[in-house]
Amino acid sequence: MIGCYDFCGHYEWSFGWFERVGGHALVREYWNEAINHDSQRHARDLIRREGIPGMLKYWGHTLTEESPSLGFNISHGPDVFRIDFHDCPSRGFLLRNGLRNYRDYCDHCMGWTGPMLAEAGFVVDHEHNHQGQCWWEMRPKSATGPHAPVGAVAGAKDVRLRPEWPKDPRQLDRYTKASDPDAKMPAS
Amino acid sequence: MNSPLPYVDTKPQGSADFYYAVNATFRFILQRLGRDAWRSYLEEMGRGYFAKVNEQWSRGGLPAVAEYWRAFFAAEPGADVEVRQLADRVELEVRTCPAIAHLRAGGREIVKEYCQHCYLLGSARAQAAGLTMRLQGGDGSCRHTYATAAARLAPQDPAQIKEVRS
Repeated sequence: MIGCYDFCGHYEWSFGWFERVGGHALVREYWNEAINHDSQRHARDLIRREGIPGMLKYWGHTLTEESPSLGFNISHGPDVFRIDFHDCPSRGFLLRNGLRNYRDYCDHCMGWTGPMLAEAGFVVDHEHNHQGQCWWEMRPKSATGPHAPVGAVAGAKDVRLRPEWPKDPRQLDRYTKASDPDAKMPAS
Repeated sequence: MNSPLPYVDTKPQGSADFYYAVNATFRFILQRLGRDAWRSYLEEMGRGYFAKVNEQWSRGGLPAVAEYWRAFFAAEPGADVEVRQLADRVELEVRTCPAIAHLRAGGREIVKEYCQHCYLLGSARAQAAGLTMRLQGGDGSCRHTYATAAARLAPQDPAQIKEVRS
């Protein structure tokens, strides 16, 4: 039986299988069709219906269940919803167990939430360091400009204040006002 | 961390909503790539992702199989499963399948082939460990048997695996 306890492990293994069988296009389709439109349809329906309050309900619930030790922080305002992951439960599971079958597991988050948020009228600013730390800001699709300054939304809980957070943005994978998983500006 | 599970987490049980993703993954592969691809996916996962467990079973025999499944179902929320170790086999009496129960509770359309995954995956894992696996039942409750060659189990009868009703 495929269980839910080690879900992140076989989920990550599956990305590598999809890429071997059907290339990058099949991985993208899997994230959008199977995860966004099927598995996580409750999130999709909620966020399309309620916008930022829906994000608060969805991620507030699911992250507390996945990360009871609260390795994350949620901040929000009228036009922004932000999550700072200080200890991503999902990426952390893979790192602790030495699992890697796909080149960048972290891509799956933008892979399904990017299209979902675009359908709900939002764009995403995001950076991840592949070590279980990242941040996300969702704003209405009319938003423009660069990333918000450090601490502007999350205050002292901004993951970018961590001492190990790279100071050189070229060491991070980053998205700016994006919704397509391939809109990544990768670490150099 | 000392655990019969090959991959361990910091929390005692998984999040049951992940069963939604397992079911959706099966649907995607079956609809997009077909049944043969789904079989390959499960068999390759059984030999690859689960290689550490298969090695534990090869080395430890039936006690390792029983210990693994006790730990496995203890980490699956909502499972009601009895694991019995006999002389030539380990039987899992699944009174409540946690995946089927959660998918039903969530009103999800379950792929009718869902229960076959336990046989296709379990059989590949058993074979890698020098064992034989059989499955009887399904649709929410079933019996898995992992046996040594001495048990001389009859071949798997596909009709013994029930389709799932959503």
